[in-house]
Amino acid sequence: MVQRVLAGDSEAFGVLVRQYQQEIYRLAYRMTRNPEDAKDLAQEAFVQAYRALHSFRGLSRFSTWLYRIAMNLCLNHLKATAREDPGEVDGGLADSRADSLGVLLTEERDRAVAEAIRTLPPRQKATLILRVQEGLGHREIGEVLECSEGTAKANYFHAVRALQRKLHMFREDAPGHEHVR
Amino acid sequence: MSTCAELRDRLPALVDGALDPAAAGHAAEHLAACPACAAEAARLRALLERVAGLPVPGPPPDFWREFEGSVRRRVAAGPAPGPSIWGRLAGRLAGRAGPRPIPTLVAASVLGLVLAIGLLRSDRATGPRPGPEVLISSQELGIGQDLDLLEQLDLLEDVEVLERLDLLRSLDAVRPQMG
Repeated sequence: MVQRVLAGDSEAFGVLVRQYQQEIYRLAYRMTRNPEDAKDLAQEAFVQAYRALHSFRGLSRFSTWLYRIAMNLCLNHLKATAREDPGEVDGGLADSRADSLGVLLTEERDRAVAEAIRTLPPRQKATLILRVQEGLGHREIGEVLECSEGTAKANYFHAVRALQRKLHMFREDAPGHEHVR
Repeated sequence: MSTCAELRDRLPALVDGALDPAAAGHAAEHLAACPACAAEAARLRALLERVAGLPVPGPPPDFWREFEGSVRRRVAAGPAPGPSIWGRLAGRLAGRAGPRPIPTLVAASVLGLVLAIGLLRSDRATGPRPGPEVLISSQELGIGQDLDLLEQLDLLEDVEVLERLDLLRSLDAVRPQMG
């Protein structure tokens, strides 16, 4: 398919876009939690992929290569908007039909978790999203983030610990417990 | 048996399945004997399940049709795919890409010329050996490289040091001139 695009087959490019658009949009949304930003970043990822397609050597999966482009755009976007970030999680978790306490509690917890993820350092957030939400292995995460597998693992474990700390207040039995020595 | 602190430190790796068999065995022993840490492990699994299940709201119905159209418009507005001018030049020099590969002898001559110019320039640049302040600055550069590693590990952002990293580097670059 990549060769067909390089040969000028615009329909083949359309096939690639349709095949990966939902994954890339979802990744960008999870990184930004803003539908408009996610749409713009996902579109830009495809534009940049199209222009750089000649450099794709097939050493990694095409989806990994595309994730790398999208993730770089997301990280740059987060860096650029860090100082103007209002710290607001979008209303994506809200459900106007929520009419039971259970649903409200679930939404509240989801909102707290989403907010905790939002405040992670960008690369920790990226590894957490790629590992837990996208189901990538550490080696593939390293390929996406252009770092070693060990660095990807270390970032992921730091992200998990940070998330535990940030959500400590939501534990029912937070204060103290008997330690095994 | 490991202590609670050691177990808690390894919990993310344990839940991820990233511990080696021996360490995983020790962790399992500890969890069997420590209800509090077992509960902590269960909470972590529940938290990660919640993270995995966070919803992504579906876009409006025409979103995807408009999406592809917009990508195509943005692509059409820019340059066609292909290597940059530098990529094409490098490909030609290597004789691997491009319609008219440059003969090996010509490529070798160009390479030799570039090396000769480089050597001449390095001869001219030879001057007095750097003073102690420059050497100290080089040691600090080592610290800067360590900071690069930490930056990649994304640890320093928690303490907002990275925002000052560029400033530190620029000061490092200026110091020898000031001395």
